[in-house]
Amino acid sequence: MRQLLIDIFSFEDRPRYERIGFLIFIIIVIIFPWIVKSAYGRAVMIKFLLFALFGLGWNLIGGYGGQVDLGQAKNVGFGAYATGLMMLWWGVPFWITVPVGMIIAAAESFGVAYPMFRLKGHYFAIATLCVALVWKELFVFWDWTGGARGVEIPIRSTPDFIYMQFGSPIHYHYFIFFLFITQLLFMNWFRKSKLGYECQAVRDNEDVAASLGINVYRTKVIAYTITGGLGAVGGSFMTVYYLYIDPDFVMPLDLSILIAMTVMVGGAGSMWGPIIGSALLIPLDMYLGAWLGAKKRLGIDFMIYAVIMMVIAAREPKGIWGIIERVRKKRVG
Amino acid sequence: MLLEVKNLVKEFGGVVANADISLEVEEGRIMGLIGPNGAGKTTLFNCIAGYYRPTRGKVFFNGEEITGWPAHRVAKIGIARTFQGMKTLPNLTVEENVMVGAFCQTSDRQVARRIANEIMELLNLRDEASALPTELPIAIQKRIELGRALATKPKLLMLDEIAAGLNPIETKEIIQTLKRIKEEKGLTLFLTEHIMEFIMSISEVITVMAAGRKIAEGPPELVAKEEKVIEAYLGERYAKGRSD
Repeated sequence: MRQLLIDIFSFEDRPRYERIGFLIFIIIVIIFPWIVKSAYGRAVMIKFLLFALFGLGWNLIGGYGGQVDLGQAKNVGFGAYATGLMMLWWGVPFWITVPVGMIIAAAESFGVAYPMFRLKGHYFAIATLCVALVWKELFVFWDWTGGARGVEIPIRSTPDFIYMQFGSPIHYHYFIFFLFITQLLFMNWFRKSKLGYECQAVRDNEDVAASLGINVYRTKVIAYTITGGLGAVGGSFMTVYYLYIDPDFVMPLDLSILIAMTVMVGGAGSMWGPIIGSALLIPLDMYLGAWLGAKKRLGIDFMIYAVIMMVIAAREPKGIWGIIERVRKKRVG
Repeated sequence: MLLEVKNLVKEFGGVVANADISLEVEEGRIMGLIGPNGAGKTTLFNCIAGYYRPTRGKVFFNGEEITGWPAHRVAKIGIARTFQGMKTLPNLTVEENVMVGAFCQTSDRQVARRIANEIMELLNLRDEASALPTELPIAIQKRIELGRALATKPKLLMLDEIAAGLNPIETKEIIQTLKRIKEEKGLTLFLTEHIMEFIMSISEVITVMAAGRKIAEGPPELVAKEEKVIEAYLGERYAKGRSD
């Protein structure tokens, strides 16, 4: 038990400069809403934390597990709809809808992982993309999900901590920060766990992993299932933050790609990669959205992402974090 | 008998890589498997370790039939292997490489780390613990691979061309190391090689393969004199010329 708590909360094994950097980051996030008063600035920050949260979850399968999953939006959708529909129909408190959404997303991931991991590499990536698109179409098609019209959450007259509705963005800021930190601590435990090492071994070399007694197939299925559950948390947050969800908003292809992109740009398979990637891409994404306006729909943002992705893949597969590590190593010796 | 292979056949389409191979590895022994390139040594290893399913024939380990078991299950019952060429886990440090092996016996990270440290001590890898394997020379990478396999606590250690790419001094070192860990850990070794000197100086029993068949078996000094073996290595005419 004691060891478990240490594994969750301790960053002792990381070098000093990482821990100091992380501490500075935490302090900045905490004081941010007191310094930045503009609604837009605060919204960017919340979106950044949301995508950092998504990235942390995706990093498990995509970074540590080495399986490129281009369908994380489906899990976001499951979380968002679980929260939205349960609140709308039965008035279930937010904190109960979160685990339900996670279980639904994890169960679905487990189910589809079974056949999907018969595929490898690019074929697996395409399969994940297709599954997510099928789910999106189903959510548009079905009546009980509200179809293309989506789900609107009734607005409460008073702010409360049961349904997580607040008048000010400051509350949402600390709310998403809390969710982000819990996921970060989970990943901190994961990367040191047996499962974490098994995932990394599978990523680096499947034959070697098997020779060390690791069931490669089972490891991938478990990692994909957990990633599914983690992805749902941010979806639940989106429901109570935006108070309106529809399939185009919470489960589109753009979302899946952007989640994967943030991690790859930041550094897949490293603790800080998702945070760095989101810090770079989310403000860029919002800036492009404001700058291009309706033209964003033409896919100009996608073209820009594609260029970034190609540069990363060709020059530095380990992302920005890979560059930082390399520079540091050169300095040390 | 620790390992028994009975009438094993492996075919790829029409190509017969292993034709009716039978062999036994006695516990505590060092068994060598030699043969020219393409003799089917690695295929045989892969059939035993669960990477290929044999077309026909059976494999027994400690009396239990393990024919067609998946690789991870074979590893769990006590058969560890290394691979031809360099197959380290490039994004994990040396310590973590060995730790992943140790996770085969335990789920506890502290225990796994302790096992890894013991093995790194044994193989003289302490100084490289936090380096990445790809930054290190080949001889050290070979030791990492050996350490990772040892960390799974095997009864039988199968080494596929562990001396390939090493210079004569490094080869001598690895022979010393292998003999030492074999005694300390009570291991049985089963190794392939196509370099004669290496296998001759370490093995107690040798099996010779050529073109997918087993052509000879026995103590090294006897096997080296057999005509069929010389023929397989140097060609028929050389063997004839010698016997004249």
